[in-house]
Amino acid sequence: MNHWLILPILLPAIVGALLALAVRNDIVLARTFSLGTLVGLVLLGIMQLGTAADGVTRTYALGNWPAPFGIVLVLDRLSALMLLLTAVLGLCVMLYAINDCDRKGAHFHPLFLFQLTGLNGAFLTGDLFNLFVFFEVLLIASYGLMVHGGGASRIRAGIQYVVINLVGSSIFLMALGLIYGTTGTLNMADLARRVALIPAGDQAMLCTGAALLLVVFGIKSAVVPLQFWLPGTYANTSGPVAALFAIMTKVGAYAIIRVYLLAFAGGAEVDTFSAAQWLLPGALVTLLVGMTGVVASRNLSQQASFAALASMGTTLVAVAVFTPVAESAALYYLVHSTLAGAALFLLIDAVKLRRGEFADRLVDAPRFQNLGLIGGMFFAVAIAVLGLPPLSGFVAKLLILDAVADSAYWGVIWATVLLTSLLGLIGFAFSGSLIFWKSRQLDGLVEPTQPTQLALPMVAIGSLLGLLVLVTLFSGSVIGYMDATAGQLFNPEQYIEAVLGAPTDGAEPLAKGEK
Amino acid sequence: MNVALIILLPFLGAVLPALMIRSGRDACATVTGAINALALALLLAHAPEVLSGGSVRADWSWISRLGLNIQFSIDALGLLFGTIILGVGLLVVLYARYYLSADDPMGSFYAYLLLFQGAMIGIVLSNNVLQLLVFWELTSLSSFLLIGFWGHSPAGRQGARMALTITGGGGLALIAGLLLLGKIVGSYELTTILASGDVVRASPLYPLILGLILLGCFTKSAQFPFHFWLPHAMAAPTPVSAYLHSATMVKAGIYLMARLWPVLSGTELWFYVVTFTGLVTMLLGAVIALFKDDLKGVLAYSTVSHLGLMTMLLGFSSPLAVVACMLHLVNHATFKAALFLNTGIIDHETGTRDISLLGGLRKYMPATAICAVLAAASMGGLPPLNGFLSKEMMLEEAAHRSFAGSAWLLPVAVTVASVCSFAYSLRYVTDVFFGKPRQKYPQGLQDPGIGLWLSPTLLVALVILIGLFPETMLGRPVRMAAAAAIGGEVPKFYLALWHGVTPALIMSGIAIGAGALLLLAYPLAHRGWNSLPRVAAKPMFDFGIASLAGLSKQVTGRLHNSSLQRYLFVTLVASLLVGGITFAQHWPTFASGTRSVLPTNPVILLAWVLLIAGCILVVKMHANRLVALLLVNLIGLMTSLIFVYFSAPDLALTQISVEVVTLILMLLALYFLPKHSLLEATRAIRVRNGLLSIIIGLAMGGLTWAMLTRDFDSISNYYWEQSLPGSGGRNVVNVILVDFRGFDTFGEIMVLGIAALIIFALLDGLLNGPMRRHMLTWTSGEQYSPTRHPLVMVVVTRLMLPLSLMVAAFIFLRGHNEPGGGFIAALVVSIALIMQYMASGFGWAARRVRVDYHALIGGGVLIAAATGITAMVFDRPFLTSGFKHFHWPVGDFELSSALAFDLGIFMTVLGGVMLALAQFSKLGEEITGEQINEAPMDYPPGKATVSATPLAQGAKRAGHGQPKGLPANNPNQDERI
Amino acid sequence: MEFLVAAAVMAMTAAGVYLLLAARTFTVVIGLTLLTYATNLFLFSSGRLAINQPDIITDLASPHADPIPQSLVLTAIVIAFGMTALILVMSVRGFFESGGDHVDLLDTSGPADQEHP
Repeated sequence: MNHWLILPILLPAIVGALLALAVRNDIVLARTFSLGTLVGLVLLGIMQLGTAADGVTRTYALGNWPAPFGIVLVLDRLSALMLLLTAVLGLCVMLYAINDCDRKGAHFHPLFLFQLTGLNGAFLTGDLFNLFVFFEVLLIASYGLMVHGGGASRIRAGIQYVVINLVGSSIFLMALGLIYGTTGTLNMADLARRVALIPAGDQAMLCTGAALLLVVFGIKSAVVPLQFWLPGTYANTSGPVAALFAIMTKVGAYAIIRVYLLAFAGGAEVDTFSAAQWLLPGALVTLLVGMTGVVASRNLSQQASFAALASMGTTLVAVAVFTPVAESAALYYLVHSTLAGAALFLLIDAVKLRRGEFADRLVDAPRFQNLGLIGGMFFAVAIAVLGLPPLSGFVAKLLILDAVADSAYWGVIWATVLLTSLLGLIGFAFSGSLIFWKSRQLDGLVEPTQPTQLALPMVAIGSLLGLLVLVTLFSGSVIGYMDATAGQLFNPEQYIEAVLGAPTDGAEPLAKGEK
Repeated sequence: MNVALIILLPFLGAVLPALMIRSGRDACATVTGAINALALALLLAHAPEVLSGGSVRADWSWISRLGLNIQFSIDALGLLFGTIILGVGLLVVLYARYYLSADDPMGSFYAYLLLFQGAMIGIVLSNNVLQLLVFWELTSLSSFLLIGFWGHSPAGRQGARMALTITGGGGLALIAGLLLLGKIVGSYELTTILASGDVVRASPLYPLILGLILLGCFTKSAQFPFHFWLPHAMAAPTPVSAYLHSATMVKAGIYLMARLWPVLSGTELWFYVVTFTGLVTMLLGAVIALFKDDLKGVLAYSTVSHLGLMTMLLGFSSPLAVVACMLHLVNHATFKAALFLNTGIIDHETGTRDISLLGGLRKYMPATAICAVLAAASMGGLPPLNGFLSKEMMLEEAAHRSFAGSAWLLPVAVTVASVCSFAYSLRYVTDVFFGKPRQKYPQGLQDPGIGLWLSPTLLVALVILIGLFPETMLGRPVRMAAAAAIGGEVPKFYLALWHGVTPALIMSGIAIGAGALLLLAYPLAHRGWNSLPRVAAKPMFDFGIASLAGLSKQVTGRLHNSSLQRYLFVTLVASLLVGGITFAQHWPTFASGTRSVLPTNPVILLAWVLLIAGCILVVKMHANRLVALLLVNLIGLMTSLIFVYFSAPDLALTQISVEVVTLILMLLALYFLPKHSLLEATRAIRVRNGLLSIIIGLAMGGLTWAMLTRDFDSISNYYWEQSLPGSGGRNVVNVILVDFRGFDTFGEIMVLGIAALIIFALLDGLLNGPMRRHMLTWTSGEQYSPTRHPLVMVVVTRLMLPLSLMVAAFIFLRGHNEPGGGFIAALVVSIALIMQYMASGFGWAARRVRVDYHALIGGGVLIAAATGITAMVFDRPFLTSGFKHFHWPVGDFELSSALAFDLGIFMTVLGGVMLALAQFSKLGEEITGEQINEAPMDYPPGKATVSATPLAQGAKRAGHGQPKGLPANNPNQDERI
Repeated sequence: MEFLVAAAVMAMTAAGVYLLLAARTFTVVIGLTLLTYATNLFLFSSGRLAINQPDIITDLASPHADPIPQSLVLTAIVIAFGMTALILVMSVRGFFESGGDHVDLLDTSGPADQEHP
């Protein structure tokens, strides 16, 4: 019985509860606890990545009830990857956040940990309804983090974010109703078997369910026309939270990959729901909208938000091609864009803190503290975000272009990806030269509104950059892992057997649980 | 290995100057120079081997799956370019040490310079086109930093951005081009690609590939119509201009064209596109250069012109033309860099670069003058200097080539270009060094120190030597380089000043004569030029960028106008479309259900009628919020009735208790919020929304119907069978909640707990944050019954408390077997408690209910987790339940671990609900300015005392009903929640 | 009977969506609540309808309603409750931040004035 499998969910949940219970008023203790937890999660993540790397899919039957009746956690290469990514991101962001940002309101640390609980749960669960539950956990935690600190604009964006996602949750439930109502199961592996077997007469309803599910994941991953919540949310929340949210949209991408390559992969004999027909155009437009926003932005946070939107576009373009190489490229880019996006948001927060009343608005302002250092880092991060060499973004871009070359739509995909990169280049060249160069033209030095630390924040951002460098240097082996992951994803039968055991007639309830 | 070292050295070394600057500018420059020199030495060490026809290679696999591997090779072409890059680099490093002023950050300057150098050398030594791409983009980035080095000057910033946009954009095209090339060939390794020219030229994609690659090269090498970025890049410090924008970076495009010459050249398309572009660029540059007054401007356009010349030569697709190109490459690098450095000296010493302000300088700075004259003469193509050699070869090539069917077009065009070229070279000399000074020069104007003049002098020495002994100096390198470029044998040729009276010689003669005349007539020509309509590139570019930005702002603004109503509408429409179209796609196979329909029951019919009526009314009357609230509760009640009727007692119970609590919450909220909404939406919008909602409603209803009328088989039997034996519970739903799917419930209570924490935080911000100030000035305009707390209510609620607690306990315990459970129990308790709050006042209740709700929430989650973990101790999976049967006097009870789990639920829910409600009613009292009171009070809390608070009175007098002094969008991010 | 349920879902969905698109937070919350009712009823009916067959095991052989959707709906109700409470409080906070309860907090002291006598 490999109990490690559930720890990524339990650990943050328990510590989070403890913090809410006991150490509400002792910030130092809270910081120690959450940092400790995050380090633990990183170690867990590394361990589980190592375990999953052997290609065996491991399961954990909660309550000792056999799938599909009980809820089962599944650890394969993909989920292990997401777990590690989440943990690492969380640690870096927390390193930054403990410089005062976590003091700006109650319950930052419990919320942060509950957020991780939700994320890890979503990455591990093998049950659709349980996925819904963990979506709700991570969402409500994110609501709390999002409005952390208050302020009218933040509350407004918060209300929009919450309402749109509540609608999303309703749609999720409707989709689940349709899926259960036709297949009679909620376990994804079981679903995969039953989808092929349900009568043709029910296909329409099942596929409608699948389609609504795609809408839900689309909202999470902010694909046009469901992207509206993203720019406002990311631009108006605090820097660290926005950085943590870099993974939030990726959950949507993860869910799409998981569900439509496993549950609704279908077989040759049944025409199941095709996610690609909706996803590909949406993703391309998302990329365009995002980079347009980068050019249009009036402050750095906004720019970073639209860059995040664009990065989701790129990810989903690759995802939507639904070939092994494309998924592998998508995963590589997903890792890269998560780290790069987070670094950007943190860096912008550092600028904000130092630029006094000018905050991060793209207006003329005198020089500010640590201009040189932050400017250099901004240059590096911008390179990463835009996918220019020498950082992993460029490798990712090449991977994606290379992977989609066999698709029928390679032309439009290439054109969009490359032209939007130019847009992004223009946008960031403008903002960067305004903030870091033009300020040298004006004399004087802006007084920061509050005393700013340098060491720890720069360590946080630096480590994110360092990770990017590592990913770049070891691209070979990273891509190797991604390829293996894609291979696993495109061989769902092995996942299904790991969860349900050897194939029987999928329509029948399977072996009873031995208690 | 040491091949890679040549590239690595500058990159790794880039950090050193940034550090060494601490120990002085000399140390900084020295270390930079050392790195540079070392790299040069390493490169030249390979020269003998390479020049004897060999080539050095080094390969490491990096991303083999993508074909992007670390592959370097040094052949003659690479060697030639590399020597120029590192050689000129060395001179520029020396020069820059004395050129940069004390307040320039020299450390970062040298760092950028080395970065660029590494990228540049990387390009010319790459044996893998993807790797070449990496270096290619790196040159764009590092030159961005170098051009913008003087970020405080607008010209610098704009020039940098323009250069980055143009070259970066070209780079993107190049990415596509090279990827396609590699896909056709099946490898990104350069040697392989060079070997398969026929395949490429035969491929249908050839035109596309050619276009994309040329786009990359033309932008980089400032070919028409992309030439305009180069002059603006002159905002960079002069050493940068000399290095990047004459000797090296702008040659990258030439290099790549030469590199891929065997693959891409030889077709009509190539000939016409490349030759024509080169020709136009050459003419344009030469003409404009003639009329520039800024010395660097003259040199910049002259560079453009010479780059055009080289491009044209490559376009000719003849081996000898390639030889000429290679030769001119070297020559141009020498004399043009020398001229730039000289200009730098002039600028540095006299403080101006404007020809119209200079003149007669030879008196003051003879050494500089001599250098400049020689270099300029070479640029103008005068024997016996090296410029003459390559120009002769170019003219010779052009003379015998017919373009678009005309034999004279090319010869004439190149002659015209040479005329202008000679003219502006001459002008550079006469107007700057001869004649009389046009302005008062600074005191003690004289030749600069050796540090500044050494570099240009060395270059000029080369100019002369190559001119005099071409074959010995350059014969072999050029031959080998050309051979490497064309990938075959070079026809025999001999580099010499005198080839007899050839057409080329005649054309040169014409050029020199006409050029001299042209300069004599300069004022006239200048007037003529000014009268010409001018197309200025920069305004166009700026306009382009500006309109792009404007357009983006419009689009983005329209799209993300931060109107939630719009967002929701789009979201809903999208979902409707995706769902609907998918359903339609599968419509052909759709079969309506065969399940028998249940008979209608009058009671339910009544409930249904009420429900429908409620829905209609709530839409009609939602403006009055209290009414809307009550209607919603009615609807909720009816739903729970439906649940009861359809065999779901647990659902009904839960629904009802949730109803009550929600009702209380909403009433509390309504106490603060306005009681009425205005109908703000226009009729059109209301109709639009109405239609959408009806369609969605129909869709959902239809799906429900379709689902209810068909049979399916589900896994549910299992639970029915396993519930009792497996978990010892008779209430299957509850067993599923706490056991089969207990993990869902675990998540669910977390959600509730988190919600409570957030609510606490949000309201805490109002109670203790800066918001408090605004809040306290707020009064609700509503009037409430003046009679305070009817005794009855107080008594009743206080009696109810113990009663409801017992009920709760009962519901809790039976949960596992009968409808009930921790959740419902918790709600019952919290309802009872909140009654106390409302009936008897917050203070009264708060004093008596001494429970820390945070602790309840946390504890609840922990207990739930603990029950699960206990199982893990027995090496069973998380949440595995165990149970035991007990005979209690009160009745039979299953005492199961699930019960403990349920306790966790109970605590979390109770804590969550109470935390929210308590915080809320506390706010209610705070806001009315009333201190925590002992006396019982009415709902809404403490209203009656409002008039007593001066603050509130002030507010009343001001006659406003909402917080004052608040901007609609409060940017202050630092408030506590 | 099935028709009544379907119609009920329809009515509640339609009303919910309509109110959702309103401009005032409280109305939006009402809309969300209705939408939740509809969703729950829909999810519930994915187990089909059964009369007088409570999910209490008396004897295993007896016919019974599908317990799964019921438990799912229970979870859904609880979660929805938490969400409703949260959005309510957010709207109150928003009201104090902006002085009005427009969903986009657009209010200067415009409409809000007329709402408070």
